[in-house]
Amino acid sequence: MATNPRSVSEWTYEFIAKPMAISVFFVLLALLWTFPLQKVMAYPFVFLFFGAIMGSAWFGGFIAGTMAVVLSSLAIDFFFVPPFYSMAIGKEFRTYVAAFVICAFAITALSSARKKSETAVKIARDELEIRVQERTGELQRSNAEIMQRERQLRELTEAIPQQIWRTDAGGRIEYFNRNLIEYLGKDAPELESEAFLSILHPEDAPLFVQNWEAARASGGKFEVQARVRGSDGGYRWFLIRANPQLGADGGVVCWYGVHIDIEAQQHTQQALLISQENLSRLSRKMSMAEMAASIAHELNQPLTALVADSHACRRWLNSQPANLERAVATTERIVRECTRASAVVSRVRSLFTKSEYVREPTDINTLIRDLARLLRDDAIRRNVSIKLRLAEGIPRLSVDPVQIQQLLLNLAMNGMDAMAESAGARELEISSEVSGVDEVNVTVRDSGTGLDEAIRARMFEPFFTTKPAGTGMGLSICRSIIEAHQGRIWAEPLPRGAAFHFTLGSNA
Amino acid sequence: MTAEAGPDSALQQTVFIVDDDPAICESLSDLMESAGLAARKFSSAEQFLEACTPALAGCLVLDVRLPGMTGMELQQKLVKSGLAIPIIIMTAHGDIPMVRNAMKAGAVEFLTKPFQDEELLTAIEQAFALDRAQRSAKSLERTIVDRWKTLSERERQVLEMVTAGMLNKQIADRLSLSLVTVKLYRRQVMEKMQAESLADLVKMWERMKS
Repeated sequence: MATNPRSVSEWTYEFIAKPMAISVFFVLLALLWTFPLQKVMAYPFVFLFFGAIMGSAWFGGFIAGTMAVVLSSLAIDFFFVPPFYSMAIGKEFRTYVAAFVICAFAITALSSARKKSETAVKIARDELEIRVQERTGELQRSNAEIMQRERQLRELTEAIPQQIWRTDAGGRIEYFNRNLIEYLGKDAPELESEAFLSILHPEDAPLFVQNWEAARASGGKFEVQARVRGSDGGYRWFLIRANPQLGADGGVVCWYGVHIDIEAQQHTQQALLISQENLSRLSRKMSMAEMAASIAHELNQPLTALVADSHACRRWLNSQPANLERAVATTERIVRECTRASAVVSRVRSLFTKSEYVREPTDINTLIRDLARLLRDDAIRRNVSIKLRLAEGIPRLSVDPVQIQQLLLNLAMNGMDAMAESAGARELEISSEVSGVDEVNVTVRDSGTGLDEAIRARMFEPFFTTKPAGTGMGLSICRSIIEAHQGRIWAEPLPRGAAFHFTLGSNA
Repeated sequence: MTAEAGPDSALQQTVFIVDDDPAICESLSDLMESAGLAARKFSSAEQFLEACTPALAGCLVLDVRLPGMTGMELQQKLVKSGLAIPIIIMTAHGDIPMVRNAMKAGAVEFLTKPFQDEELLTAIEQAFALDRAQRSAKSLERTIVDRWKTLSERERQVLEMVTAGMLNKQIADRLSLSLVTVKLYRRQVMEKMQAESLADLVKMWERMKS
């Protein structure tokens, strides 16, 4: 430090000049005030000097205090201790001066110490202040960072093309992303969980509620496919998924949900189904055509021979003279060919009726329920609602379940086809009831175009169809199945639509 | 035409029935006989091919659906090997593309089973007429070729040039012969080919070339 001239001058100022100036100032001030006061005092009046020393020590520190003590002692000795204006001290005043000096030093020490501690406290306070400010700044910075991050997260959820929501544990909605609000066209507060059901397609709401209750009860994942009504009033298919957030105690804190638009996917799937259906219908038709061709060929062979023989026979008889011998031979061939043609017919018939004879105890209601499940997608696509009205306590019947299922499927598909053009509500009702001793009556009712007399008269005939792409075999097969089961099948025209009834007995 | 129909066309025309169903073969041949026509039965295309010679006269009544070689394949095979016997096709179900192909390949008629005797007999009449025409045309061709074979190398050259429309003088130049020699050759060609006129000779030449 000594090597630095600036430090030296600072040191000089700090430890010599400044204490000196302060002590001189205070001592002079005390001296000036003591002169007038001394005139009325018996003993040298020193108290103002104590003040000067105190002030010097306070403002200038221990060095300034010490200097003030020296200066004050000299001033008192010179001016106020007899002999006046001399540095000598009278005998009787020596104790007095000594006491003053001691007191003065004590005051200096005390005052400067006090000052020192006060300064230390002040510094400590300042440091504390600075540290608090720093800490506050840090807090503000991290707050801003958190807010920034939250904003980014929120923007992210808004930017996701899916619709997102959050509910509390009870299912009350707390948050919607913009996508969902835009799709629904409502304000978030309007949509309580109750109201949420109102924007679902009525047919999908029960499944939604069922799955939601199940997910809430188990605290597991929630998933359902449902149609949700948009702001334009139209429905779109969504895959709705929700995951619970679990708290430390394992209870659900809130639910995070997402709606994925699967409308296009549904359309593709339906288009696929339709084309599959067309394909199978086509292949059915193809095999029918092939079979028809083969039957036609089988029958045409003996017919061709028969026609040729008949003509030959006539020619033999018409010839001059009539060749009876040849005519008889030809007639014998005619008989043979007729027998052959008839054999072809019975062979074809046995081909159609040839099947494994299956009879097993079957619950008709189960068959109907299975069928309804099978038809669900098809019905949704065709905008048909399927209703089941199944009687309790129906006896198990001994039937071929595959054939009865086929029968039910044919009737249901016919019903749905009949409603394809109808403008009103499309409703297919399948009902079962006990209609006699161990006899069950099943009815398939549609609200379609209905049946006129001409159709009713021929509808069970093979190859009779009213559909442009129909094979005309559906009802004919139904009748064959029912006849094989010793049951009855009949159609009944309704004011709107038609009903097909069939009965099955337990002895079938 | 000076050429007379060959002795082949005088052969009796026969109806060749090809069907795998023996009852049909029998009935049809009986019908033919009742109509005073000769008939032969074959149960497969292969069997018919074995018996088939260029000398066969008449027509073929052919079923489309046959075991082994089908009726259409037999028709194509006959057309390829130049055995141009007229064909009447029978089928249980006449689908349009099959009919078109058969007619394109030269079938006389296409009958859907079962058919009336008149339909078949009319078709056979047509087929026989076609067979006769083809046969006489063929025998004429054969006669022309036989005559052409009697010509010398020079005479053949002269024939070719004459029918190509060249003048005697041009022929003489081309063959480095005198005009008189060319005229002599030309007369010999006319004689050997038994042509009455130049036009007649050209016609024969055209027929032979085709």
